[in-house]
Amino acid sequence: MKNWPWAILAPAFIFVLIGIFSPWLMTHDPAAQDYAALLEGPGWAHWLGTDYLGRDMFSRIIGGARTSLVAMVFVLVAALAIGVVIGSFAGYVGGKTELVLISVIDIALALPSLVIALALMGVFSGANFDWMSDYWKMIVALTMAWWANYARMSRAVVVAELQQPYIEAARVMGASHIWIFTRHILPHVLGLVVVYASADAGALVLAIATLSFLGLGVAPPTPEWGQMLVDGMSYIEENAALVIIPGLALTAVVVSFNLLGEAFALQKVPRAVRGRLLSRKKAARAAEEVARKVVEA
Amino acid sequence: MSDAIVAKGLKVHFQTAAGLVRAVDGVDLTVAQGAFHGIVGESGCGKTTLARALIGLQSATVGQVSIFGRDRTDWAKADRKGFARTVQFIFQDPLGSMSRRQTVGQTLEEPLQIHGIGDGKARRARVQELLDLVALPETVLDRLPRSLSGGQRQRVSIARALALSPQLLICDEPLSALDVSVRAQIVNLFARLQAQLGLTIVIVAHDLAIVREVCSSVTVMYLGRVAEEGEAKAVFSDPAHPYSQALLSAVPSPNPVTEATRPRILLAGDPPSPRNPPPGCRFSTRCPVVEPRCREAEPVLRAVAHGGAAACHLADADAHAMI
Repeated sequence: MKNWPWAILAPAFIFVLIGIFSPWLMTHDPAAQDYAALLEGPGWAHWLGTDYLGRDMFSRIIGGARTSLVAMVFVLVAALAIGVVIGSFAGYVGGKTELVLISVIDIALALPSLVIALALMGVFSGANFDWMSDYWKMIVALTMAWWANYARMSRAVVVAELQQPYIEAARVMGASHIWIFTRHILPHVLGLVVVYASADAGALVLAIATLSFLGLGVAPPTPEWGQMLVDGMSYIEENAALVIIPGLALTAVVVSFNLLGEAFALQKVPRAVRGRLLSRKKAARAAEEVARKVVEA
Repeated sequence: MSDAIVAKGLKVHFQTAAGLVRAVDGVDLTVAQGAFHGIVGESGCGKTTLARALIGLQSATVGQVSIFGRDRTDWAKADRKGFARTVQFIFQDPLGSMSRRQTVGQTLEEPLQIHGIGDGKARRARVQELLDLVALPETVLDRLPRSLSGGQRQRVSIARALALSPQLLICDEPLSALDVSVRAQIVNLFARLQAQLGLTIVIVAHDLAIVREVCSSVTVMYLGRVAEEGEAKAVFSDPAHPYSQALLSAVPSPNPVTEATRPRILLAGDPPSPRNPPPGCRFSTRCPVVEPRCREAEPVLRAVAHGGAAACHLADADAHAMI
């Protein structure tokens, strides 16, 4: 590890690879039910056994990786885009606009993101939102719960960069606001926010699983780890692997993204953010806790 | 010759928690086209604020500035880019005034890109030309500002300011971040550029030896006001204002005999706070030849023997106080 520091990135990278290539890695159709092989333990036919409908656990774990990855990428990209736009705008424009936007951001940050997401899922369950599938409701709800952090960070970077004398120099050269923002400020914002997002990805995977665990979000038969946990819980006495395997998968992903974020943080992320990134350790610990509790339950 | 800069009744006040800071408090300034004008004074006298107000980096509280006969505020508002192609500014801190992510080549190309000058090839040729102008080797093009020496950085920032071929260059202490040995090089560079390109240069400096060396005209500022102005040679050889005399007596002479015998005027204490300037003459609290009237009426600039003007009750066309 010491000689090859990038090795720390490998776990997260493996997760992404599994997600991308999952159709080729799955040994069975993850939705195919086989009533001849219910709740089987690990074996040659089904490497990680089968669940209560006889679905292949290995294929469902691999498929679940893709579900998590895709949902996570959607939410991260959307939250990042919204956050960067709102935060940068607030920081660049300043004045009352900034004050109003900061208040909105602060309110969003004051509430735990999962609470916001749950509340929004509740709102979306109304008939007005029937045109959205549960999956997209979850993506939108999580995005709305996730953007504020990026907005706050973007604003901070914009405000800090605007004070740099080179911005004044660009203005003296006749540069427009758009030029100054896109050429000089945006690269700094993206540099920081993308690094933060890489550490945030683990927490997001956990949130996606949590919503599915609660029966919101990803609908069956799409394989999803949170759902697999719920499904497995009823059969924990017959086949504990049904709970342990998705729990381990989740834990592994959260930990690997935290390693990734920490690696970035310790190498080159500004100090102000470093503290925040390291507090993601807590999230990893919490994830392990959840997995353990679920297993115990 | 028309005037490059005419500032009238310029005031720049800052509202701070501790009160109103009168950084620049009623300055009239005229810089002739083609002049190499020095603005000197001790720290906190408002010379940097004045330079920033001239180009509009600092908005003036009162007063107006016209540049080449056009009102600066209107001009910059109506034609931002045209204004930038006429007037450029050089910052005190060359490192801070360049993006830390851009290489020297990108930094020098940026003004050309902003103004849509030339295609890629023409721009590179122009960058090469600029490097030659400030005597930098081509090898710096791919380097980041932080890997350059102080002198090189200032050359890059000068080259960038020259990229748009401005007619007027305002420099805010371009030398203070440099070693003495490098200073001489940069000063010579300024002098050469002025001769070569026919620029009008305004330079803010606290190094009087350099101002004496290169400037054609000079303004001495004290506490947000002009204390004395005139041709550099005249002001330096025969300063009329007691403050200028004190300031100039602090400049070492290269001649060891003069250096050993020259009189030095030591001013007592610090300049008063620009938040609360003293009544009457602003210099009266530290002036060695102060008279009662100095504490009552504020002197206005008036013509003195050397052909310039000084704001001192004791100085007029016939005689002035000598300390």
